[in-house]
Amino acid sequence: MLDSAQLTGIAFFASIAFVTTLISTPIIAKMMRRRGITGKDVHKISKIEIPEMCGLAILLGLTLGSLAYVVAVPSSGNAITAFLATVLIAGAIGFFDDLRPLSARVKPLLTAFAALPIIFLHAYSPYPTIPLLGTVRLTIVYPFLILIAIAVTSNSVNMMDVMNGSMPGTVSITSATITVVLLISGEMQIAAISAGVLAASLAFFYYNRFPAKVFSGDTGSLAVGAALGAIAILGKVETVMVVALIPQIMNAFYGLSSVGRLYERREIQQRPTRLLSDGTLEASDEKHAPVTLARLILAAGPATEGGVVRSMMILTAVSSTLAFLTYWIGVGIKP
Amino acid sequence: MSRLWSLAAIEVFVWLGLLLSTFLVSKVAFTIEFGFTTIVERIATQIVRAVVAGVIVFVWLFAWKKLTNLYFWRAIGRRKASA
Repeated sequence: MLDSAQLTGIAFFASIAFVTTLISTPIIAKMMRRRGITGKDVHKISKIEIPEMCGLAILLGLTLGSLAYVVAVPSSGNAITAFLATVLIAGAIGFFDDLRPLSARVKPLLTAFAALPIIFLHAYSPYPTIPLLGTVRLTIVYPFLILIAIAVTSNSVNMMDVMNGSMPGTVSITSATITVVLLISGEMQIAAISAGVLAASLAFFYYNRFPAKVFSGDTGSLAVGAALGAIAILGKVETVMVVALIPQIMNAFYGLSSVGRLYERREIQQRPTRLLSDGTLEASDEKHAPVTLARLILAAGPATEGGVVRSMMILTAVSSTLAFLTYWIGVGIKP
Repeated sequence: MSRLWSLAAIEVFVWLGLLLSTFLVSKVAFTIEFGFTTIVERIATQIVRAVVAGVIVFVWLFAWKKLTNLYFWRAIGRRKASA
């Protein structure tokens, strides 16, 4: 059973992350616009300039939330330190990538290093639960899997940040699902962290949703992706997280398998979607354009940008349902 | 909304494939045993296990990619035909 102290701790983390992100996003946006750090909103006919790197607000929200939580619940120190260090390293990589773009090969490699705090602080258990198999012992391999996990989650969430609200919208659903799973499994401290990610994503979604007033940049998307990876490892919900992230993984897998190598969006000549004169989007029929999730959604016919993002969120809700099923299969509880 | 049914079905396929392939890797590939005794023979057994596991994962990824391509190009074909 949940006791009131644990619930207060979770609510405390989430409230601070939410309020900090909500207040700091417009301030950071103003700062970025003043410095000329803006990006074109390519899915709008007007191609308006939107402040970039506003994902710094999510980092700020998670940092203040984590610090407040560790003061309130000192026993969470190790997990919070590992989480926060991972998120800040991934955010720093994103920050430099936004200012001076990294190559498609270097970025995943660098983001893998964001996992080092989890390994060095030994904030993991090398006994993951796998559905139909139960708990498996991976004492030697697990630290290497942590490096891969953080690189995969951070970059696949980053690759999903292609339309207004697509990253924070889908991440909100995923983190809500994981929070509930962690609450059920009794991992209260990690549930608080996950609730913090949910709160910060929701606050950011308010500004990033269609029509976007801010862009998160890689600063925000790499940090949020690394946060989800860290939560999966710290909370021992690795398989559940993989299933919850199926839309992001599908998007990354299709892109990589159709292009045949790691790539950056700016390197691709043939775009996966094109903007029509009425402001709707259509899937490109170019043979060599990457087959992304957005292109798959638009294959059946044109749709608005908001409609595509809604579809991404519905697909995330489907994968969240499958994630719950995976958890139930894993622990042997019937739904 | 109707456009999402096919993609949701692909999601379910990916999920089932994930469960099945982890099960097969663990219960089939990693249990392969030839009864060898020397170190070289045991290393050979490990290599065979890794190759079988790799084949299982490759089949899953290949089927996933084929299914997606089939859906995508058919949908594009239908769209072109109706235009």
